[in-house]
Amino acid sequence: MKKIIPIMIGSATGLTILTGYFFQARLAPVLGLLIHWGIALVGLAGLIGIGYLVKTHLTRIMRKQKGAFYSVVVLVAFLFTVGAGLILSMENRFYRDWVLNIQIPVETSLLAILAVVLLSVSLYVIRTRGWTPMSVGFLVSALISLIFNLRYLQTQPDSIGEEALHFIQRLPLVGMRGILIGMALGGLIVGLRVLLAFDRPYGGD
Amino acid sequence: MTWAQVGWVIIILAAVLLVVFRFIIKDRFNHRVRKKGTAEELNHQRLRGIERGLARHVILGDRFWSRVFPGLGLHALTVLPSLVKPDDRADGGQVISGGSGALVVFAQQIVQGGYQGGFSEALTSGDNPVALPGVTPLSYLAGLLLEFNMRPLGSLALFGNYGSTAVLWTEAAHLTGAHIFAGAGSLTAQAALYLNVHDLLIGEEIFLLPGLIDSTPQNQAGLITEDFLRVSLIVFLVIAAILKMVGVL
Repeated sequence: MKKIIPIMIGSATGLTILTGYFFQARLAPVLGLLIHWGIALVGLAGLIGIGYLVKTHLTRIMRKQKGAFYSVVVLVAFLFTVGAGLILSMENRFYRDWVLNIQIPVETSLLAILAVVLLSVSLYVIRTRGWTPMSVGFLVSALISLIFNLRYLQTQPDSIGEEALHFIQRLPLVGMRGILIGMALGGLIVGLRVLLAFDRPYGGD
Repeated sequence: MTWAQVGWVIIILAAVLLVVFRFIIKDRFNHRVRKKGTAEELNHQRLRGIERGLARHVILGDRFWSRVFPGLGLHALTVLPSLVKPDDRADGGQVISGGSGALVVFAQQIVQGGYQGGFSEALTSGDNPVALPGVTPLSYLAGLLLEFNMRPLGSLALFGNYGSTAVLWTEAAHLTGAHIFAGAGSLTAQAALYLNVHDLLIGEEIFLLPGLIDSTPQNQAGLITEDFLRVSLIVFLVIAAILKMVGVL
């Protein structure tokens, strides 16, 4: 019974939200309440997660593990930012400058590294995948997309060339929709399996 | 018929098929439409990691929910019970990390819940396998790269919702010689990971993973339902396109 009650509550809540998606007018008050409860719970889980992050770094420092110095940096920066945010408020100019002038350059530098790594791995794709139709197709389509994005290719209006160009430019969109439809179906099955209690990742066989 | 009604039909059909297949399928039934090589390799490499005392890192993504890919965070959590068995924690080499507090808390619940299923706590090192290296995608990336240096890495498995920054995780893991398996991620992540991850699942294959790892009747029912809906939808789309071309629709 201890295991069945949470499953029943979870399934009933999920099915109510699913039904509410299709009967929004009738179920709007219940739906709003359930979604707000859900957001509050996820928010609380987020807070617990942050506490967990702090605890992990504290443990690392106390045990003098490898990388303990970085944990000190993380904790000092975290505590300073939280403390300043609480005292000065989010709208304070100094606080916003403090956060953004550190965060944006750091994130930009990480994205710059990402660009370099993406370029280097794309040069080695054949080594990873071999000369397969998929890998060659991937490289060729990436190259064609890059060329088209330069917008040097111009065609006469209402010509066959323009039609052909539009057709090629639509191909990535078509492929993307195909993958998204597949993922939507997969997501639907995952959701239904949890709702129907076929999957119980929260525990219990 | 409106699109909302079409949605209803698909959802009800999927639910009915799931229930029907669950009762039809017997314990030893094996749906062999798909190759299981990738999933078998994942299991093999994880076992090899345990034997050699190397770390096995499971990534649950850097966010729990997004509007475009709402099911991915939940999917990463549903994979966990088939992937992380109670005895995997015994040597302290199992690491599970996520980039959002909610993901980590739920993962912790799952790992502990599975653990209550009959395994002595005295056999573990007492270390908590769930980690939260950072709470935004880029802070998660920075924290994760540090995690990789904590212990020699044997295997890295990527699930859930993440972007193209995953290439940096996999490149770092490649440098350590670890086996890498990736499933899920956003479309940009799928394209980016195609470049340097050999064992990669894309599109709807991602959601088939629990059925490929663990052939329980429930997983098999999900596998067949998904395949049935997928093929039906392909046939439906092709017929609709032909009818549109000939001017019927």
